[in-house]
Amino acid sequence: MVIWSRIRKDFPVLNELYDGKSLIYFDSACMALKPVQVWEAMEYYYKYLGACGGAGRSTHSLGVETSLLTEEARDKITNFINAESSNEIIWTRNATEGLNLVAATISLEKDENVVTTTLEHHSGMLPFFKRCKETGSELRLVEAKEDGTLDPADFEEKIDDKTKIVSFVHASNLTGTVAPLKEVVEIAHEHGALVISDEAQFAPHQKLDVRAIDVDFCVLSVHKACGPTGIGVLYGKYELLESLDMFLVGGDVIEDVVYEGNNVIPKYLPPPHKFEAGLQNYGGMLGAGAAIDYLQNIGMDNVHNRELSFSKRLLEGILELDKFEVLGPLDYKQRAALVSFRPKSDAVNHNDIVEYFNELVPNHKILMRSGNMCVHPFQYQIGIKPNKGEGVVRASLYIYNTVNEIEIFLGALEDFAKAIE
Amino acid sequence: MSSFKERNIECILAILKKQNPATTKEIMAMRDLFPDLCAGCSSGGDVILAGKELVEQGVVEREWTSTGFVWKLISSHDENT
Repeated sequence: MVIWSRIRKDFPVLNELYDGKSLIYFDSACMALKPVQVWEAMEYYYKYLGACGGAGRSTHSLGVETSLLTEEARDKITNFINAESSNEIIWTRNATEGLNLVAATISLEKDENVVTTTLEHHSGMLPFFKRCKETGSELRLVEAKEDGTLDPADFEEKIDDKTKIVSFVHASNLTGTVAPLKEVVEIAHEHGALVISDEAQFAPHQKLDVRAIDVDFCVLSVHKACGPTGIGVLYGKYELLESLDMFLVGGDVIEDVVYEGNNVIPKYLPPPHKFEAGLQNYGGMLGAGAAIDYLQNIGMDNVHNRELSFSKRLLEGILELDKFEVLGPLDYKQRAALVSFRPKSDAVNHNDIVEYFNELVPNHKILMRSGNMCVHPFQYQIGIKPNKGEGVVRASLYIYNTVNEIEIFLGALEDFAKAIE
Repeated sequence: MSSFKERNIECILAILKKQNPATTKEIMAMRDLFPDLCAGCSSGGDVILAGKELVEQGVVEREWTSTGFVWKLISSHDENT
C-alpha cells in the first residue's frame, strides 16, 4: 500500500511557504516536481564522479563508474516501457528532439505521405510538417472530434499504402484525451506504415508497454516523470533504428574514421550509440534512472488509480460550477489527470485567471498554466483563436497532489467565478 | 537590438500610452498595432511577465477588477499626459 503523505514529503518545495503561502502545484503536465531521490542521484554524479561516460571513452575508475551507472539507467528505461533491449533506448535532450530525430532521418519519398492529427503538440506535428515540405510529401491531418477524442475510423480514411509514418499523441497535453494507440498501430501496420507515439503525457502516468502495443517508435519526456530537465528518451525497434540515418554526428558515434587516399571513411557504431553524438548529460541520465525507480517503487497502477480519482473530482467539480467550458471528453476515464478550461462569459483573459490563482487566493498559491499549450491547430478547429489572444487555463495533477488541494482549488474557483460576475 | 524581454516591456508601454488604463484582454487585443514590438508568444504569458516587471519598477500599477487585471501607466511615466 502506498502511503501518499510520505510521497509528498519527498518533494520539499511542497512543504515550504512561498511568499507566506502554501503551494498547490497544478502544473505537472508542463513540468513535474523532482523528489529528493532524483537530485541525490544527480548530486552523486556531480559530486563524486563528474567524468566522461560513453562507449569506450574514459577507462579510468571514474569514467567506468559513469558508464556503468548511465547504462544501468538505460536498462531502467528499457524495463519501464518493456522494450526488448536497451539498445532500443536513445538518450535525447527531450521528447521534441526524439520526434525531430525520426522526422529528419526516416526515408520519405515525394509520393509517400505522413499522417498526424490536429490534436498534436506542435512537437509531434511540426517536425513532420517541415520534413514533408522538404520532400514534397503530403501531410495528412486526422481531425480530432470536438470533445478532443480520436476515432480510429478517421485514421482508416487517411492511412493508405503510401503512408510512411503516423505521428500521434497518446495522451493530449491540452484535452487530456487518451488516444486509441493500439488500434491505430494495427491500422497503420496493415498498410505497412510505421507509428511514432508521443508519450510525454502518458508514460509518467500509466503503464506503457511498447511491445504489447507494437508501436515502432515513441518518445518520453523525463522531466514530466519526476526526472531532471534536459533529458529525454527515444525508443525505436532495433531494426528500424539500424536503418535510420543519424541526426547528429561527431564524437562518440564512431568506431573509426579511416583516412585513406586523401579521404575520410567513417564507420559508425550501432544503435543506440550512433545517435548519441558528443558528450552526454550523464547527471541527467542518473536522475532519469532515479525517477524511473521512484515511479516503479510506487507502481504505475497505483499512480494511475490515484490520478483517476483526481480526474473524477477535478472534472466534476469544475463542471458543477457551470461557469466554465471544459476542453476534452467529459468522461474522466477517457482522460489524463488534467483539465483545460475557460470561463463561459469570456470576460477575463486566461492569463489573468492564472495570475489570480497565483497571487490573490488567500493562504495559497495555486500554480497553473495559461495559454494554448502548443496545440494551436485543435484550438482553431474548435473556435478558440490563439492569434486573437484567446486561450485556456490548465490544471494538471500528479502523484504529490491531494484531494484536499483539489477541494481548495474548487472553492477558490467558485470565488473566482463570483468575482467576475 | 532589444532583447525579447525588453521588446515585451516596450510593447506594453506603447499600448498603455495609447490606452491608459487597459485590461489584460484589451492589451492582448491591441498587440496587433505594434507588430515589431509585440512579437512574443501569442498566448500572452510574456505580456503578463513584462507587465509584472513594470509594476516592480514602479512604472505601472495593477489592480484586480471583475474584468480581470487593469494595468495603468503611472502618470509621471506617461509622456502623453
